[in-house]
Amino acid sequence: MNYQVPNMLFALPEMVMLAMACVVLLFVAFTGNRKIQWSYGLSQLSLFAVLMTVIFSWGDTGTTFSATYIKDSLSDILKIAICLINMCVLLYSVEYLRARQLLQGEFYVLALFATLGMLIMVSANHFLTLYLGLELLSLCLYAMVAMHRDSVIATEAAMKYFILGAIASGMLLYGMSIIYGITGSLMLQEVAAAVYSSSSSDTILSFALVFIIIGIGFKFGAVPFHMWLPDVYHGAPTAITLFIAAAPKVAAFALLIRLLVDGLIDLQTYWQPMLMLMAVLSMIIGNVVAIAQTNIKRMLAYSTISHVGFLLMGVLSGTDAGYAASLFYTLIYALMTLATFGVILLMSRYGFEADNIDDYKGLSSQHPWLALLMMILMFSMAGIPPLAGFYAKLGVIKAVVDVDMMAVALIAVVMSVIGAFYYLRVIKVMYFDKTEEKCEFTYSGPAAFVLSINTLLVLALGIFPGLLMSICSTVFS
Amino acid sequence: MESVIFYIFAAILLFAATMVITVRNPVRAALFLVLAFFTSAGIWLMLEAEFLAISLVLVYVGAVLVLFLFVVMMLDIDLAPLKEGFTRYLPLGIIVAALIVVEMIAVLNAPQFDISAAQATDGSNTKMLGRLLYTVYVYPFEIASVILTVAIVAAITLTLREHHRKLQDPAKQVMVKSADRLRMVDLRSKKQDGEGSES
Amino acid sequence: MLENYLPILLFIIIGIGFGVLPLLAGFVLGPRHPDSEKRSAYECGFEPFEDAHMKFDVRYYLVAILFIIFDLEIAFLFPWAIVLDEIGVFGLLAMFLFLGILVVGFIYEWKKGALEWE
Repeated sequence: MNYQVPNMLFALPEMVMLAMACVVLLFVAFTGNRKIQWSYGLSQLSLFAVLMTVIFSWGDTGTTFSATYIKDSLSDILKIAICLINMCVLLYSVEYLRARQLLQGEFYVLALFATLGMLIMVSANHFLTLYLGLELLSLCLYAMVAMHRDSVIATEAAMKYFILGAIASGMLLYGMSIIYGITGSLMLQEVAAAVYSSSSSDTILSFALVFIIIGIGFKFGAVPFHMWLPDVYHGAPTAITLFIAAAPKVAAFALLIRLLVDGLIDLQTYWQPMLMLMAVLSMIIGNVVAIAQTNIKRMLAYSTISHVGFLLMGVLSGTDAGYAASLFYTLIYALMTLATFGVILLMSRYGFEADNIDDYKGLSSQHPWLALLMMILMFSMAGIPPLAGFYAKLGVIKAVVDVDMMAVALIAVVMSVIGAFYYLRVIKVMYFDKTEEKCEFTYSGPAAFVLSINTLLVLALGIFPGLLMSICSTVFS
Repeated sequence: MESVIFYIFAAILLFAATMVITVRNPVRAALFLVLAFFTSAGIWLMLEAEFLAISLVLVYVGAVLVLFLFVVMMLDIDLAPLKEGFTRYLPLGIIVAALIVVEMIAVLNAPQFDISAAQATDGSNTKMLGRLLYTVYVYPFEIASVILTVAIVAAITLTLREHHRKLQDPAKQVMVKSADRLRMVDLRSKKQDGEGSES
Repeated sequence: MLENYLPILLFIIIGIGFGVLPLLAGFVLGPRHPDSEKRSAYECGFEPFEDAHMKFDVRYYLVAILFIIFDLEIAFLFPWAIVLDEIGVFGLLAMFLFLGILVVGFIYEWKKGALEWE
């Protein structure tokens, strides 16, 4: 056996994450919920440590572990995003979980292992690593949704999520195995080379591609594979919804890019129309159905579906600028979602969920700052300049216009106008509807502070989008 | 000789698989599934895939089927209505089965799958697997252990109830002192006062 | 190579024979006069109160799941043991890490009381 010991330094973020997750697990095992503050602190520390390892190794690229692991600028930027997002998620959810007796050590353990799964996905250069990372992430998410055992809707949501997620994983695995059968390799570059050289086997390859696209569609929640998304968003405790909505979408973006662009770029003629169909349907159904929702979590779920449609638009253009626009869209989407659910979490208190749109009546007169933050977020989600959401939408629409897909661009524009309606309705409820009820709650402390910064960042990135955009375009060049 | 054994195994496998979906009692269905797994392990062994055969027996027969049986017994299903849907869903089932057969034929006949290359391996499959799994694929291998650990955490988080049990601890019973059980309270009789206020 | 499994095949055949033949002999040779009283379950002379099938405690489920996890771990040990002399220290450490991670899970399981019945 002449096996070279791999250069493990590349995988330092994953190793730190794994070690810290094990430490937190042991800590929780020995202290239970008595020292939950410490578990929380340790979790934040772990995420921070991972963040530091990524930042300090910025710029190094290469593969290791027999090319099952890759470190490139895409993985670096996505890992930084994942760590920052999850740090905010943990911060925002503390009070919400405490009020509902859900603040258990296991929440942090599962959150850290889920983060590890995302890191693994982002750095995967091999079908096997990609799949295992995805499974690690999904397994943690199923358990987190089901953690609220006394809630019927949470259990139902977990059940749906688990069954549909398992089917999706099966589809993905089936597609991967067919590709392995044809190309004889699971490593992305080797697959790409084998697909490039064998032009005759396109029928079977496209057959495999269908399964892979279905798997990706399920994980993203793109129409027609979106059925789980509203129920899970609605049923899960809001803190868990936030966890599912933000960082896993960033990891799913890595899944999309690694599989379709790194591995199967020569099948672009096949995956382009499939993605186009999913993107157009997602934008239409997401935006139209969201209008009818009265529950803000459900509304945001449909809004997520429509955002997924926009996000896919950049990738389906098949150009480097398009991928960069999608990356930018993903990061901005995560930032906006984080802050929006942050507002909902801040408003929820003991015995009150703040998940109906009517609960926001008269917010402006009682808590003007919170209402202002929510207004910025809603404007940004609707894509109104000069907020970050506008530049994100502009980027992906420009990407499809550049490859002469005028119809898709037109649908996107029309749908974002329709979408603006339900975002603006929230603002109208906050500012123009009066209520006698007094919203008795206080918000203060680090969560409110970080939330304000998070929202102002959406504003700042709208005014100065150049820096993040240039980083995104250097990733794909 | 080999083909005779193969056909015997295949016949038992088909019989067991049919019984799994036709017998009324779910416990019996699970036991027929055990038989099906055993015979497919036998077939795998004949194809010289020893590791797959062993893991099928070890993991599926040894553990997964036990879990199946527990679940079946835990749910205490009323057996009669379960089978009512059988004929109703039969056409759909046949269509799905036919589709799978067509797909399998299409995939297996495809020239892209070079089956002859797979048979060229010489020596023990398990050894080949081991040589790769712990060196080339060490990273996915370690992820697998993380997934198993998460499964432990998830299973315990979701099913373990902190039950408040009423158990006697003999040590504590013996150690008890009279002061723990009996509190002497000084209660002065206030009869005169009480009568006085009443009258 | 398949010849190595011949003893196992013979063992299976003889084992099945040992199990089936006495049953068959009893079935063929024994006298049988069934009636409804004989066929009913015997419960100390009473009519049976309920079905003999009863619900299992849900706690068995947790034990079974935990068993599956460690059973799977064993499946990984087989190929490792076979090639240990070829993969060297690196392979040894790889398995140590694998087991180490699972031991962390095991400690958690133990401290949580998932292994205690009462």
